[in-house]
Amino acid sequence: MSAIRRRQIGVLLVVALPSLAGATVVVWLLQDVLGVPNPSAVYLVAVVATAIVSGTAGAIGTAAASFLLYNYLFTQPRFTLAMHEPGVWLSVVLLLFVGIVVGQLASMQRSRADLARRREHEAQALYAVSSALATRESIEAVLPETARELASDTRMRQIWITLGATNVQRPPEGAQVGLFNELRRMSSATPAHWVRVHQPTGRSTGPTDSETYRVLIEAGGATLGSIWAERSRDNGTPTFDETLLLSAAADQLGQAIAHDRMVADSQAAEVARQSDALKSALLQSVSHDLRTPLATIRAAAGTLSADWSDADPSRRESVAAIEREVEYLNRLVTNLLDLSRIEAGVLRAESEPFEVDDAVASAIERWEPRLSGWRVENAAGRDVVRADPVFVDAVLTNLLENVVRHTPSGTPLRISTKPGVGGMVRLTVEDGGPGVPREALPRLFDKFYRVPGKRAARHGTGIGLAVVRGLVESMGGRVDARQSALGGLAIDIDLPFAVVPSEFEPAVSS
Amino acid sequence: MRREPPHGATILVVEDDDETRAALLRELRGRGYRVEEAKDGRSAMRHWETRRPDAVLLDLGLPDVDGIEVIRRIRREATTPIVILSGRYDEREKVDALERGADDYVTKPFGVEELNARLRVALRRAAGPTRDERGRVSIGPLVFDATTHEATVAGRRLDLTPREFEILRVLLAHVGAVVTKGQLLRSVWGEAYRGEDSYVYVHVSQLRRKLAAADATGELDRLIVTEPGVGYRIGANEELRQT
Repeated sequence: MSAIRRRQIGVLLVVALPSLAGATVVVWLLQDVLGVPNPSAVYLVAVVATAIVSGTAGAIGTAAASFLLYNYLFTQPRFTLAMHEPGVWLSVVLLLFVGIVVGQLASMQRSRADLARRREHEAQALYAVSSALATRESIEAVLPETARELASDTRMRQIWITLGATNVQRPPEGAQVGLFNELRRMSSATPAHWVRVHQPTGRSTGPTDSETYRVLIEAGGATLGSIWAERSRDNGTPTFDETLLLSAAADQLGQAIAHDRMVADSQAAEVARQSDALKSALLQSVSHDLRTPLATIRAAAGTLSADWSDADPSRRESVAAIEREVEYLNRLVTNLLDLSRIEAGVLRAESEPFEVDDAVASAIERWEPRLSGWRVENAAGRDVVRADPVFVDAVLTNLLENVVRHTPSGTPLRISTKPGVGGMVRLTVEDGGPGVPREALPRLFDKFYRVPGKRAARHGTGIGLAVVRGLVESMGGRVDARQSALGGLAIDIDLPFAVVPSEFEPAVSS
Repeated sequence: MRREPPHGATILVVEDDDETRAALLRELRGRGYRVEEAKDGRSAMRHWETRRPDAVLLDLGLPDVDGIEVIRRIRREATTPIVILSGRYDEREKVDALERGADDYVTKPFGVEELNARLRVALRRAAGPTRDERGRVSIGPLVFDATTHEATVAGRRLDLTPREFEILRVLLAHVGAVVTKGQLLRSVWGEAYRGEDSYVYVHVSQLRRKLAAADATGELDRLIVTEPGVGYRIGANEELRQT
């Protein structure tokens, strides 16, 4: 029998016996001294008093005892349980019946008041937790106070609150863990209940007069920490209300931690966004500052070459070299800027329909002076893609530059298209140059990657193809490298096929 | 080799970078132009008001006012040719400037040959379209007659739809200069078609195919050149325009 049960019986005896005795004396006075007929209702006072203190069982017991006492002491024949007059018999049975009903009502009232008091207590405790959390500077700062209040509200010796996403049953610093229980919270249908957990070490090192209870702090399916409580064995298992309070406090802590995390995350995202914007602005201005002198150099060189009819050949070639190198530097700057935009995720591709062969012809035309030694074949068809024409131009420029840099003059260069898979048009740029070793192909589009063993006077920076991949992917396309049937390297670019609207137009009339 | 500019034409160079501006001035003076210079938008507008140059070379990235603002100011009163100096990847800015009335653009760092070609085209267009005595425009084997509504290649009539004919007319009215897709859409289809750039693409592509098919010499294959992300221009090829 539990301590609580024992205490209840003690209360019952302390209240029920004196009140029954008192009622008996009053009834004796009324009936035998003052001559009041049938004052048995006085016993109801004793029933109500017991009901208020000890509940339904006590009330019924007291009503039954009252019935027997009155019957034995005051009804004719006296000092027997027998009764002669049917009227008295009826009134005594009524006493029993009314006693039971009144006792029930009184005890219901009492348990309602009890419940209200417990709820108020619980609400106050939760309010203390939530107001501490609401006014917190940081969650760690309010934990000791919250733990102290929670301990006194749930009759624990001490409570520790630990944070960290761990399921490991490691008690906090300073806690003596004896027998260990964990709260299992199931669905809302099953009430939470305590489960005894076996110590991972297999032996209990803690005190023997207490047990440890743990509630996980969870939010959004993640474990964020634990509430550890040390409870004297005299207090028994936490009551339903205490369990509820611990579990509600864990939920509040969980919400607060999750909220703090969300704030921290969004702050981090904002910092990252600002830093991206700064980076992007910085790059814009750097690229502007790099390009402006290039524009001056190119214009100045152009002015020198304007009078080339009367210039000697070496001077003319010098001017041509300046112009070539300016173009090279400009492409380098453009690629660097593109790469950083790709990495910052701020590159936004336009999307419009255009014919691949047109874009290829433009790119080749622009490279004509440099490509004059190569055997160029433009086999690109009239496939219409939906992509960013400026990006496609940059992609082709990079690929043509690669061919010029890495293959000897006279090498065949072929640009072709064919239908690709999944609504794509495949644009292939391939050459008959020395090519790239098979094992280097997958890494070709990596930033700063250079094919091992290649020795060119100017290696290139290893960003051209990284830019190609970034640009193609930003347009929803794919890029791949393979060995070409021509003997060298083939780059396949898949771009989305465009569905263009058709507009009805009447036939010619002019 | 050198082609002389229209005599005595005055060019206002608006560029904030001193070195670039100086290089441009040297180049233009060397070509026989008279030059004015301004290093920001406000002084550019002042120069334009007092001197009324024949053409303006305008950098869009000015320190004080937006280059677009300068264009708007000039276009309120005059059709003076404006050629923009712009950076790569500023397509939106370029298109914006062109639609607000700029005539053409060159992308930095530009070659002086390209710059001169654009400037010449702009100045010539300002002087009026080049037509023969019957008001026809001819480029290579293509002869375009707006009055009879007829286009011929090497004497044979081209079978064009009304839209294609209109596109060709608009492009020929701006020979050598870029025409944005938005401008084509407005002048051929009308305001109601705003944003339907794909129509422009479809019909230009059709027109190109017909021109290429009609011309055995291959001269007209690349008559209409695409300016990626901006629009189209006729006859980027200087030699083609001379015939």
